[in-house]
Amino acid sequence: MRNFIFKRVLQLVLVLFAVTFSTFASLNWIGSPLENIVGPIIGGTDCGAVERGELPDTSSAGGGKTDCELVREAEEEFNLDRPVPIRYGIWVGEMARGDFGNSLIGGTEISELVSQRLPRTLKLVVYAQIVALGLAIPWGVSTARRANRGFDRVSTIGSFGLLSIPNFALGIVLLYAFSFRWNLFPSTFTEGSISTQIKALTLPAFTLGLGLAATYQRLLRTDLITTLQDDFVHMARAKGMPPRHIMYRHALRPSLFSVITVFGVNTGALIGGSLVIEQIFGIQGIGALLVTSVLRQDQPTVVALISIVAVGFVVINFLVDLLYGWLDPRVRAT
Amino acid sequence: MARPESESNVSGTENTELEAGRLAVAMAEDGPDEAVEKTLGFGFWLCITWLSAIVLVAILAPVLPIADPTDINNGPLKEGPSWSHFFGTDNAGRDVFARAVWGARVSLVVGAFAITFGLVVGGTLGMIAGYMKGVIDQAVSFFFFALLSFPALILAILIVTTFSRTLQVVSLTLGILSVAPVGRLARAQTLVFAEREFVDAARVIGAKNGRIIIRELLPNVLIPMGGLGLLGIGVAMVAEGGLAFLGLSVEGESAGQLSWGKIINESSKGRALSDYPHVALLVIAVMFATILALNFAGDRIRQYTDVRETAF
Repeated sequence: MRNFIFKRVLQLVLVLFAVTFSTFASLNWIGSPLENIVGPIIGGTDCGAVERGELPDTSSAGGGKTDCELVREAEEEFNLDRPVPIRYGIWVGEMARGDFGNSLIGGTEISELVSQRLPRTLKLVVYAQIVALGLAIPWGVSTARRANRGFDRVSTIGSFGLLSIPNFALGIVLLYAFSFRWNLFPSTFTEGSISTQIKALTLPAFTLGLGLAATYQRLLRTDLITTLQDDFVHMARAKGMPPRHIMYRHALRPSLFSVITVFGVNTGALIGGSLVIEQIFGIQGIGALLVTSVLRQDQPTVVALISIVAVGFVVINFLVDLLYGWLDPRVRAT
Repeated sequence: MARPESESNVSGTENTELEAGRLAVAMAEDGPDEAVEKTLGFGFWLCITWLSAIVLVAILAPVLPIADPTDINNGPLKEGPSWSHFFGTDNAGRDVFARAVWGARVSLVVGAFAITFGLVVGGTLGMIAGYMKGVIDQAVSFFFFALLSFPALILAILIVTTFSRTLQVVSLTLGILSVAPVGRLARAQTLVFAEREFVDAARVIGAKNGRIIIRELLPNVLIPMGGLGLLGIGVAMVAEGGLAFLGLSVEGESAGQLSWGKIINESSKGRALSDYPHVALLVIAVMFATILALNFAGDRIRQYTDVRETAF
């Protein structure tokens, strides 16, 4: 087990490096890092020539400073005169301390924006996972108990359909049906009491959770069918245990491995999905912030958000991997 | 104990991205309880007919007698479906059917290119890794693992914003995204087949590595890849739709830059969805039917070709 953890930790470190470095490099190697950070510079960037007096300096649009003064300030602030590996080190250090720099739009601290918006996205993701598991476990159990009978066949078609519908399409259909047509749920998210928030997050959580429930149900059904052929299940049945008790107390737990594996994987898919779903349901979360930052070319915010999400995803998968190794000793050998 | 031989189990417990996760679900379908049908079945041919129709219509879009998709005031505004406008018109009086037909072009090109790129690059890397083993395998596997460590949509956004929002970049981005899931399946398949007697036999008679990979292993690895190809087109189309929905797919207003995701996005913003819901809902229906057909046909091919596997 110790060897297993050591290997996984090494992998975690390597992947974290790969993920953060490629994100950082996209900001610093492609195009002009300076323009990526301070936005387009109108008067040109040849400040060497200006300081030697060969070119006239242009005055900046605001703040009473000239463009070249702004450029030099930015260079100093972002250490642009240093080589990329050193800047990467400085940047990682700042990120680790929670200092993500300032947004180009309005100059707000990015960490402040994140702390405002992250809770909303997390609420949505957690709610969606609850919906998915809450639906998938009874659904998987009932289909496995009577595999290949009527309900199982119908539900196979149903889950196939759910897996085939793009989440943004499902979101729009749900929004139209339950919000515009029948007016059961609000169409946009507003902060408020817990019950209003739950109500507002129900449609988006089901949008994300339904497809996921189908995934879990397929896996759970297959694993349960295998488990139900094991001797201990026959034993329990022979002793006269009620079927419900056998399913939930005996067979369910050893059949959950596949679901746990994809649980971690799907958290990443959920984060991706929530970017889109937040747009549909007007939730001002991380996804909505990322999209507006991309469209406004607010590079520092984009890079900070992508790093946060990617690092979070890697860490979650790492934890799920450890959990899986703990649950199933066979995994540790690989 | 016959745990499902899903992709994630074959390649250890490392995590795969959504696509692979869903594929694993599809792969896990063959429980011991299910009898394998020997024919592809009516449903499969129905799906192929639908897909062929979509592809044909998309290719022929410029010569078909349909309205100009960008022509405003083509008819009354926000009108429901009728004989003159099958899918009705949108808020600018543009013909929605024509827009859906043109939108299919970008969606299909992106989907087909992405999975081709994934199959060629991912398949090659995966097979080399699975056959060579050792350091090469570790390096390639880590590369796949790192690619999968980004949530797919986040990686797509990172690439698209770093470069530009042209058809080429979007296609290539989604192609890069499909490298790792495809490569892992190719590696897992190669690992299984590389142990077989016919590979040993080829080696004994003096075949070189390149020949063994191409002549002995490739045909066996290609078969499960065929089903994966169709599933992958669907996944890439959904991903393009997601990007387009965020306004981050191919930029521009001309007919060649339309995609289903973009039309759905335009027609579901603000009051559009309550004002003229038929636009978004009809395009969603077409997209859903297409993805469903791709998934179903891909899954049938996989089940069908699995028969050969069990015959050994």
